[in-house]
This record gives sequence, C-alpha cells and structure tokens, in this order.
Amino acid sequence: MNTLFGNFFKKANTGFWPVLIALAFLLIGTFSVYQSPRSLAAFLILMSTPLILYFMKMNMKVKVFIGLMLIVIILPVLGIRNIFYLEVIFQMAVFAALALGLNIVIGMAGLLDLGYVAFYAVGAYSWAIFGSKQLSLLYSVPGAAPADAPFALDPRWFWLFLFLGVGLAAITGILLGLPVLRLKGDYLAIVTLGFGEVIRVLALNLDKPINLTNGPQGITPIQRPPLPPESILQFFRDILEPFVGHVPTDAEFYNVFFYFLALIIIAIAILVATRLEDSRIGRAWTAIREDETAAIAMGIPLVKMKLAAFAAGASFAGAMGALYAANRTFVSPETFSFLQSIGVLTMVILGGLGSIPGVIFGAAAVVLLNIQILQNFSLYLSELRQSDAVIPIINFAWKDLSNQLDPAKYQKLVFGLILILMMIFRPSGLIPAERRKRELVEEKE
Amino acid sequence: MKSITENPVYKFLLFPIGQILIFALGASVVLSLVTVLLAFIFKFNVTDFDLVERTMLILPQVVINGVTIGFVYATIALGYTMVYGVLEFINFSHSEIFMVGGIVGIQLMAYFEHIGTLATMNEYLVIALAIILAMVVSGSLAVVVERLAYKPLRGAPKLVPLISAIGMSFFLQDIVRLILSLTTGEFNVILPKFGTFDEFWKLAVPGMEDPLRIQIKSAIMVGVAVLMLVGLNYLVNGTKVGKAIRAVAQDRPSASLMGINVNQIISITFLVGGTLGGAAGVLFALKATKLDPFSGFFPGLKAFTSAVLGGIGNLTGALLGGLVLGLLESFAASYLGIFTNGAFGAEYKDIFAFAILILVLIFRPSGLLGQTVGQKA
Amino acid sequence: MTLLNTTNVVKRFGGLVAVNKMTFSVDEGRIVSIIGPNGAGKTTFFNSLTGIYKPEEGQITFKGQSLIGLRPDQVAATGIARTFQNIRLFGSMTVIENILVGMHIQLKQGGLDTIFRTRKFNQEENDAEQRAKDLMEYVGLKNVGNELARNLPYGGQRRIEIARALAANPTLLLLDEPTAGMNPNESEDAIKLFRRIRDDKGITILMIEHDMRVVMGISEHISVMDYGEKIAEGSPAEIRSNQRVIEAYLGRGAAVAHEQKA
Repeated sequence: MNTLFGNFFKKANTGFWPVLIALAFLLIGTFSVYQSPRSLAAFLILMSTPLILYFMKMNMKVKVFIGLMLIVIILPVLGIRNIFYLEVIFQMAVFAALALGLNIVIGMAGLLDLGYVAFYAVGAYSWAIFGSKQLSLLYSVPGAAPADAPFALDPRWFWLFLFLGVGLAAITGILLGLPVLRLKGDYLAIVTLGFGEVIRVLALNLDKPINLTNGPQGITPIQRPPLPPESILQFFRDILEPFVGHVPTDAEFYNVFFYFLALIIIAIAILVATRLEDSRIGRAWTAIREDETAAIAMGIPLVKMKLAAFAAGASFAGAMGALYAANRTFVSPETFSFLQSIGVLTMVILGGLGSIPGVIFGAAAVVLLNIQILQNFSLYLSELRQSDAVIPIINFAWKDLSNQLDPAKYQKLVFGLILILMMIFRPSGLIPAERRKRELVEEKE
Repeated sequence: MKSITENPVYKFLLFPIGQILIFALGASVVLSLVTVLLAFIFKFNVTDFDLVERTMLILPQVVINGVTIGFVYATIALGYTMVYGVLEFINFSHSEIFMVGGIVGIQLMAYFEHIGTLATMNEYLVIALAIILAMVVSGSLAVVVERLAYKPLRGAPKLVPLISAIGMSFFLQDIVRLILSLTTGEFNVILPKFGTFDEFWKLAVPGMEDPLRIQIKSAIMVGVAVLMLVGLNYLVNGTKVGKAIRAVAQDRPSASLMGINVNQIISITFLVGGTLGGAAGVLFALKATKLDPFSGFFPGLKAFTSAVLGGIGNLTGALLGGLVLGLLESFAASYLGIFTNGAFGAEYKDIFAFAILILVLIFRPSGLLGQTVGQKA
Repeated sequence: MTLLNTTNVVKRFGGLVAVNKMTFSVDEGRIVSIIGPNGAGKTTFFNSLTGIYKPEEGQITFKGQSLIGLRPDQVAATGIARTFQNIRLFGSMTVIENILVGMHIQLKQGGLDTIFRTRKFNQEENDAEQRAKDLMEYVGLKNVGNELARNLPYGGQRRIEIARALAANPTLLLLDEPTAGMNPNESEDAIKLFRRIRDDKGITILMIEHDMRVVMGISEHISVMDYGEKIAEGSPAEIRSNQRVIEAYLGRGAAVAHEQKA
C-alpha cells in the first residue's frame, strides 16, 4: 500500500504534474471557498496548496508565483468576502511570526523559553500605553475615565512604535537573559515561565499606584495608523466590489492592511532567520544546542550567544505585539497568559524545531485547529444539543450533554496532546529541519 | 555500645520530628525578626498608624498561616524533588497530580454529603478516607503518566521529556475539566461544610493580651503533613526500597548492574511522589475550600520553587524550602501592602515565589542545603 | 621556548584531590604526551588548562599570559584548541558546518553583516568554506562535507574533530586520547597525521594517550601522572625504564619482577 502510494507520488512528482496539481488545488479551493464560505473542507483544500508547493518538485519561480497569488491576492479577497477568513489569516500571520521568533530561541539555540508571550506583551503594551488615552489617565481610577481625555500621540507614531516594540522586547530579552542564561536548560524553562507570569501579573496590577495598564480591564481604544489616502482606497473598492459582493468597508480594509503588515514582518522574520541560521551566529547557536561543552571549547561565548538568541527571538514578538495592539484596538492581560506561550510552543514543536517552513506550517495548523476546527465542532455539538438526536446503544440524548462541553474551550487538551504525541512519536516535527547542503566541488584526482 | 543515632525510634521518629520543629521554628523566628526590623525601618514612612504595633498585632497569625501552607508546599515539593533526584527531570505535571488529589478528596466528601451520611460520620474519619482515596488515585495516576508520557522518552535529550511533561500538565487539566463537566456539569468543586474545622483553638500565651488562635484545619494540615514527612523519611532511609531509590538516584547504570530493577524503582518514585501530592491536594482543599482543574498550577510552581530553594534532590531541603517559601509568601501577602502604604499588596503574592526562585537560582543554585541525592556532574 | 607552563596546579572535588601540584611545561613546536593509569587526573588536568574547571591553586601561563580565571571560550581565543576523550561533535550539523564552528573565533562577521549579506560576509563565508574543505582533505576525508557528523564512522568522526580543532588556527592542540578505539592501522595513520600537523603547521601538540605504541612512537617528551601528581617525566626511553612508572602501571610486584628480569 505504502509503496503503491509512493510510486504514485513519484510519478506525480515529475514533469508538469506538480504545477498542475498545485494549480488544481488552488483553483478548486478558491472556487469552493468562494461558493461555500462556511465549509471547512473547502478551506482545507485551499490551504493545502502551500504544502503541495513545498513538497513537490517544480520551478522555484512557479512556486513563488503560485504562493504569492494565494497569500497576496486570493486570501485577502476571500477574506473581504467573508470576514471570518480575515480573522483566520490574520491570526495565522501573527502566530507564524511569533513561532518564527520562538523558533530562534528554542529551535536554533535550544533554550526552552516558556514565557515567550511576555515579549509579545511588552510590544503590545508599549503601543497600547502611548497610542491610547492612557497617558492622560495615569492618575484616575480604572473605569472612571473622563470621556474627553485626549490621545497622547498622533496615530502615525505607530510606525515608530513598531520599531520601538522590537527594541523594547529585545532589551527585555537581554535583561531577563543576563541573570538566567547561565542556568541549566530545565531551570531556564521554569524561570522563563515565571517571568511570563510576572509580566502578566504586572499588567494586571499596575493600575496602581499609577494607572499604567488599566489593570484587568485592559486598555482601549488604541489608535490605528491611518489607512492609505481615500483615492487609493476608492480604486480598490471599485476593483473588489464585483468579487466580494459588497463595497468593502474601512474596517475590512484595516484588517487586510494589518494582514499585509503581518506578512511583511513574517517576510523579514524569514529572511533574518534563514540568514542568521546560515552564518557564524546560527552555527554557534546550533553548536550550543548540541553540546555546550564542545561549543565553548571552540571559543563560542555561551552567554553572549544565548543573549543574542533571546533578543532576536524577542524582537519579532515585540513587533507583533505592537501590531496586535493596533489591530485589536484593545489589550488586556489575559491575552498574554501562559496558555499563549504554550500555544506558540505547540506550533513550533508540531512543525519541527529549527525548521522555518515547519513552524509556519505549525502556526497555520494550530490556528486553523483552534479557531476553525474546534469552533466547528462546538457548533456541531450545540446543534446536536438542540436536536432530539440520541446516541444509539447507550441511549444518551444529546440534549443532556453538559453545556460546559465546548470543544473550542479545550485548547489545553489539544496543545497537551500535540506536545506529548510529538515528543513520543515525532520529536523533530512534521516538517523536520534540514541542514543546508553546500555545493562541494569534487576534488580532482 | 550502640549509639543513640542507631536507635530506630530516634532515627526515624524523634530526629525527623525534631528537625521539622527546628526548621519551622527557626524559619518563623528569623523571618519574624526581619519583618519587625523592617517595620522599624519603615516606621517613619507611615504616619497614620503605628507600623510596629500593627506588625506585631498580626504577626502570630501570619506565622501560623505561613507554616500551614508551608507544610503543604513541602509535601508537594517532595514529589518534585524525588523525581528530580532520580531522573534529573522536572515533573511538570506533578501540579496536576496534586490537583487531582484535592478534587478526588472533595468529591468523596461531596458523595458522602449526597448520600446523606456526611453529617453523621466522624469528621476525622471523613478526612482520613478522603486523604487515603486521594493518595491512591494520585499515586496511580502518577505511575500511569510516567509509563505513558515519560518512560518512552528516557535517554532522549533533556528538553524532550520536559516538553512532554508540560503537555501532560495541560492535558490533565483539561481532561479533569472534561470529566467533571460531563459528570457534574460544573468544573468547580466546592468543599462541603461539615465538622468543626473552621473553629479555632485558643491558646493563651503568657505575655500576650489575646490568645493565639489556631484554626483546627490548620492543625490537621500540619499534623498530616508531618506524618507524611516522617513516613517518607522512613521509607527512603529505613527500608530496602528506599535504599534502591537512593542507589538509582546516585548512579543509575551501576544500580542496574547491582540487580536493581531501575524501571520499577522509577515507578515507585513516581508512586510515592504522587501519593504525597494527593494527600497534599486534600490538605490544600481544606484550606482553599474550592478547587478547579487549574488550581494545581500555582501551588505546583511554588512547591517546585520550594524544592529548588531547599536544594533540589534533597528531601530535607524540600521540607525547609517549603516552610521558608510558605512563610515568605504569608509575610509578603500580609505586610507588602502595609509597608508600601497600599501601593503594592497581596496581589503580588503569586509572583513573589518566582522572584525568590530567580534569586536562588542566580545566587545559590544548589539551594539552601545543597544537593545530596543523585548529584551528577 | 616554553609555550605552556603550569605551576602547582591543584584541582579538588570535595575531598578528592584530582590534580595535585602539577608543575609542567610544554615547549613550542614539540609533541608532548601525558600518560598515566585510569583516574590519574589527566583529563581533569586538561579541563583545568582549558578553563572548564577552575583550579583551586596554582598558575597556568600560555605564551606568557595567565589563563587563570578565563572562561573556556576565552582560553580558546588565546590559541588553544582541543579534542575530547569521547568524541563531541555537533551531531546534527554537517561535517563542513562542524569545521566552520571551529573557525568561530577567526570569523569577524557581525549580526548586521549576516542579515544584509554584505560583501564582507560573503567573502568571509566563501573563504571559510574553502578552508574547511582544505582541512577536510588535510585530515584525509573526502566527499563527506554534506554528511551529518553523526552518520560518519568512528574513525571519520575522530578526524573531523581534529579538523574542527585545526580550524581555530591554534598554537597549541590538546588531544584527549585521540587514538582510543582505533585499530593498529588507523593508529598508524593518526600518528602520521599528528606529525604532519606539527611539521607543516608548526602547531605544538599536547596529548593524553593510553596506547603505548602511539605514545612511544610519536612523543618527544612524556609526563606521567598518577593519583593526580606528576610522578615522572622525560624522553620515551627514560620513561620506559622508570621504576615508578612501571609500578604505577603494573603494581609493585610486577615492577620488582621487571627489575629482576633486567
């Protein structure tokens, strides 16, 4: 069976077949999502296209072309047509960037950071505090804000804060790293976990003595950077209207805008990660991950290199944090829980430690699982609950099923299972990392 | 002539109890003195009341609370420290083993309430039964978890079993939630009211105006925890199994060559740790009166901190660490607000433990008592 | 000229004195061995030299500069490279990458060079890669550059470890039991390689070795350790006939027998 499939795959993986298959998935997927926007199967078909592009042999240019078609044109258009997909692809992009950052820390340098979300929080709160009215509310009690409080900064400052988020997160990473990076790997994990909680508890409680974070209620509204000028928007409205069936609203444009912004950060993240990986720094990280004693004997300064990994990983989270705050116009401490850190860890582990395509795949898969598959399952269960259906044999009426049983709320179970199963059966992930093969000229005899 | 240290009554009963007493008293006295000293220093910051007087007023209660929770932490910490001693592995899911113990204990009491016998039963018997059931369930669960999620990963790089353990921790939280939701439709479990545990014993202390008030449940918590600690001490230092555990902790390959069944000893280690965790769960439930599937997380992390504080792998250290941490936390919760004039308060209690953990790891990674069990290069 | 010099180096583990008052020196350009029974403290002494252990007492100077208090990476930067008793390659990296890691100290590329792939970066990487290939060939390996290090046979792994150490352009090469587990033919090749390293590159070699054929065949100077102390030193011929050395290795009875035979 296996060989039969293998042979089939081999045959399909030659000549023009791969291009044909990829295009088929792309077109069928697009068409079916277009036709039935709520169908999970349709979306899965569409989202298989990148996998086909990754695994099958075809011209690099063709791959890039089809890939760009999908993420730059098709997904946003489908997203404007059905706002739900905008949320899906935005979350995929955000988490892909976070996973890429965490992958530098865990996958490349082998440092298990369980408080990664803290850096995300640093980025998010930096724009949240300065990009909202919070600065004028420092001395007022949470919830009792005067309505006419002014915004502290012009929304255009967002662009600066995107970079500041990077810097602040990197500095936080270094400040945390300095004392703790001498620790053994498992201690490091617990300390970073603790650090993540410290940041969350600070966000929760720094509404006094001065009201910096507005406590558990979180900060809102947070400003968004202005959209491109009206003339450009009008141009896109005219183009898009026939495809999406309505005149795209500003809210939708904002979502697309943030999606593209996230894509740009991802592109930078991928570029930086691949370039670092294949350099003195990246090799030093891998060496540290493999064998600290041997690495240090080769002259690699452990603490310095680990700090670099921490800072590099943290910086992506910082940028994504600022982006997230602006997109949601709201931040609250609960966004930055331990569960989020583990969620990102799950993405990295599922995709493959140290594997850049792997962790992107992991992020997409976990987001899909979280906000689509589990949600669908929840909906299905609640439909069953409202029906008169009965499970045969044990004679259990769906009506009696507890309301507490909402699969969408069982993320921990899913993350936990993924982590355990991956560690036992496939510790290198679904798309394992590969070392770059160099062109080695055969020496002449 | 046989020395008194060889006498089993001394070795396994008097000595450990004495040690526990000294630790509890010593830690309480040291921290109280430091606090009073701080009160004198901060005195001038606070004008609307006499800081020193107020400090002294609540001090006995703060110490009692701290010691009580400290014993619970110590009992949980033993589970972490034993497993670390033997496998050099942080059993991240131990906090859930503990939580399961607490929930099982409460559920048993709720069952008695449901069938209507709770009011007529001897209240101490109820607690004893709950603890025993919790110990059995948690102990078995720990063994099963080890078999399923850790054993296949033995020999893998260190982070691999750790990640699996984190996964197991999350998995158990939601599985418990699922089971509770399906069976009771609710995942918070509440300790039924019964008996006289909430009442206070009043001890007149010479030189103090008010009598010292000790809640009966605090006394039970301390009593049971001491029993567990003494029992564990006997198991590890006085029996053949204990000797095997220590041998495996010291040098697993050699222990295996000496004919010790290493897998079995590892299972026993998890069993013992889980059993203690289960008992601690019920004790914690008495105090917290309400548990949910996520209640294990913070006590678990604090217990782990205790283990590190005392010197991970070191059983005595876990005891000392637990007591010190319980006291520190109790002091922080009570005095942080008073000393800072309300700017920071008890809400920082939970992260206080992390601050201690980080400080210990940086300045004295081998803990207060150093590592004695299974320290490998 | 003395390259490496230690005076009264002491390293203790709790009550155990693993290295006791080692006074020892290595002259530039020589091949020197430390021998001794198992547990004599040879590897501990190596680790004390390279900064992995901090000796409690004593002085260590290399090229006239004190190594005391330096971290292992700082020691490596002074020009000391080493191999390990039980091979410690970076298993999941390719052979070429392992050798490139050895060049860590020499490579000057910074983070920004790396991210922007500056000319400096590309130039340096190309040169480094070429040097790595040359080194691979130098230690007698061919066409394995893209193999993962862990997939190579034992002898190949030993060679990569040496190439990795050479990549650092060391002045002094420390080899910890470099021929352990080799058959006589492989040991023979290894000896030739060590000689070449010294002769072509002028690198001083200090090694710990058990195989007497290797030690006697290559060393110009031998020190013998037992119970953490240096009990003898001299040329191979001197060591061969030294009473205390024979005792240390074979026990007293054997030493007496040896004497009678002689």
